[in-house]
Amino acid sequence: MLTTPSQHGIKLAVNLISSYFGDIVAKVCECLLRKGTLPLVQIIQFTELTKQNAVNSLLVLIQHNCVQAFATQTEGKFGGAPRISTQYMALFDNIIHHLRFPKFIAIVNEDLGKECEEIFVWLLQDGRLSVNDILERHKEPSRNSTASDAFHECFRKLVNAQYVERCPAHEPFLAPPTEEEIAAKKRAAKFTKKVEDTIEVRALAEASPMDSVRFLLETDTWTDDPEQKSNDDSSSLAAAGEKRKLDALESGTKDWATNQKKEVLWRVNFEEFVRRLRHKSCIENVRARLDAGAATVLGAVLEATRRTETKVKVENSVPLSIDDIMEEVIKSEEGRTMNSDRVRASLAQLGCDMPSITGIDETYSIDLKRILELAQIQEVESIVLKRYGREACRIFKLLLQADRVVETEMISKDTFVDKKDAATILHQMWKDDYLYMQVMEKDKGKQKYLLWAVKKPVLWQHILDDMYHAALNLRLRSAYEQEKDKEIAQLPREKREGELGKRFEKWRKIRLVLESSLMKLDDAILLFNDF
Amino acid sequence: MSRVQDTMALKRKRGDQSLLTQSLGDADHNVLNIIKGKEGRGISSGELKKVSNLPTTQFNKSIKTLVARQLIKEVPNIKTSWGKHYMGAEFEPSAELTGGYWYADGKLDQELINSFKKICFQILQQKLKVATAEGVHSFFIKRKLYNGEISRDQIAEILRSMVLDNQIVEVKSTGLEEYHSIPVGEVCYRCATGGGLGETSKTKTGAMVSIPCGVCPNIRLCTPDGVISPTNCVYYTKWLDF
Ligand code: SF4
Repeated sequence: MLTTPSQHGIKLAVNLISSYFGDIVAKVCECLLRKGTLPLVQIIQFTELTKQNAVNSLLVLIQHNCVQAFATQTEGKFGGAPRISTQYMALFDNIIHHLRFPKFIAIVNEDLGKECEEIFVWLLQDGRLSVNDILERHKEPSRNSTASDAFHECFRKLVNAQYVERCPAHEPFLAPPTEEEIAAKKRAAKFTKKVEDTIEVRALAEASPMDSVRFLLETDTWTDDPEQKSNDDSSSLAAAGEKRKLDALESGTKDWATNQKKEVLWRVNFEEFVRRLRHKSCIENVRARLDAGAATVLGAVLEATRRTETKVKVENSVPLSIDDIMEEVIKSEEGRTMNSDRVRASLAQLGCDMPSITGIDETYSIDLKRILELAQIQEVESIVLKRYGREACRIFKLLLQADRVVETEMISKDTFVDKKDAATILHQMWKDDYLYMQVMEKDKGKQKYLLWAVKKPVLWQHILDDMYHAALNLRLRSAYEQEKDKEIAQLPREKREGELGKRFEKWRKIRLVLESSLMKLDDAILLFNDF
Repeated sequence: MSRVQDTMALKRKRGDQSLLTQSLGDADHNVLNIIKGKEGRGISSGELKKVSNLPTTQFNKSIKTLVARQLIKEVPNIKTSWGKHYMGAEFEPSAELTGGYWYADGKLDQELINSFKKICFQILQQKLKVATAEGVHSFFIKRKLYNGEISRDQIAEILRSMVLDNQIVEVKSTGLEEYHSIPVGEVCYRCATGGGLGETSKTKTGAMVSIPCGVCPNIRLCTPDGVISPTNCVYYTKWLDF
């Protein structure tokens, strides 16, 4: 969930926030993204905004799930009482999710229909709403209102599909570890190499509602009895028995998991959408790389196991018996023609090991990480092919497969690229940070050999940053085109004829190309960052 | 298919060389012995000079004499484009020097390589569907598709380079369906079913290559308000010129 944003990732995030919520909010957001988690005082100091502006910006960002607050305790100075302070952390991935709202809406529409889509869109627009807030909107006199039962049914469907979840606690308290806990951790660190969670990861874990209540929709939620909603109020401040001095911001926001009327707040569950988009990406990649049969089988396995996945980035699909796979496969039209041998062949194509005896305890788990890795490689190779040509692409693939340093001559031999040409290509790619180079000396420095490698994690980060940069550029150019042809865009239908008609058509086409390119590029960003 | 390389030109009958060596001086003999000792690997002129420890004029004279009497020959070395490389006249240059089967006159024989790639692709696409390197090689031999000599390893080299080109994919046999005749786990090759990637690709192109910034050489210099920016970008203007 928490990734360190790259330079252009930050620029894109700030651009998104600025266009949705204005420059002041964007300033606070940028400050948190660049400097990391901060208390209010420092946000004010760095942004040079007034306290009111900073507070209001944080409120907007929290409302739209772009910032999470949490409280920590620090030792008092000069033996004084410990101090509790509120920290604010930017949620980079959530900010970028704003870019893909159209994709989320399309998923809901396709799965649950128009009415559910409408409620869902309100939640996207407002960030956090109580059931009664939504019901109020639903009843607006200007609207063609349907019965309240139908509304409740829609909301129930959204929650059951886990498209919507209860909001996390507004400001969880991260208690400092006791001395025994510190000692236990030190002991454990000796045996395990596990890196300790950052304070941000801990805060998020503390804030999120327990699984048992995250999608709990009690009918009495409709009436929103405040007594019933203790689960979200997981800020353990009261339990800590601390007397807290609440400044203006804190007093205004301390109950964001519920609203001022103490109603449970709901929001869109981004995680579920990322999961579904991840599954879709795997299936489509398999369809392109293998065949429709393998895609059908993978789709069936993922559909049957979606609810049992413990996190979004599962490396392997949850193990499933051949009978359960068959049951799911035949639910789809394409799957109806497949017998068990055909399904087994597809599973083998998907990289599953075949048991020596079929039938007994025959379960399969598909390596999703590998499928996604291949999709990433395909994207990078297509860039290399277009930027440097076919021979370079062959060299790049060889180095990627080798996963170690390889000497120029060896590269030339294995790729059928003339040594001189290979050297030129390698240098060019190295200059652009696509390759790593190492000089090896022999004969006390009389002979020099150049060794080359693809350092995947570094290169992948570099490509992802370029993707953010490209996405930002698409948005900026889009805004520029819209602004440039403002009058054309507003041209009434009856005037779209002749020369003006042509200009309108061109404007429409440009908008379409820019928007669809951004959505396609976002698929690639998801592939490299979220899947 | 024409093989440009004529290795016969490099062959020399082993004749009675005693006549040719009769009037050689000590220095010439010394140089000749060093060169012959290296057999098919030959020796670079730099190394030869160092090992023979002769003054430059004497060294050059010896080389000239030995070449004139056809006791040694100069051969190409694909590893270096500078300096000369010598070898006893009766030896064939090793693959290390010539580059091996795929080289002619010290250069890659792209014509030969491409013809093999083309035929291998057709064999996999139209005939065998899935095959090991061994399988493709046997097909070559059985159908007499090539008049010259070609080994299983050379076919494997061609197939591996086709994998790098995304023309075909390397897979492990599952022993099921179309793999039934290939032992489980054996490396085999097949055409990329989904269409693969690259110029002939049927799959959708990558996201980055579909937009100007994705492959832009100026991306590092491009900033929102800079001299190069998305609003004044010529690549964009060209791209959006419908
Ligand atoms: S906007 Fe133009 S100059 Fe800037 S990175 Fe994109 S293509 Fe290159």
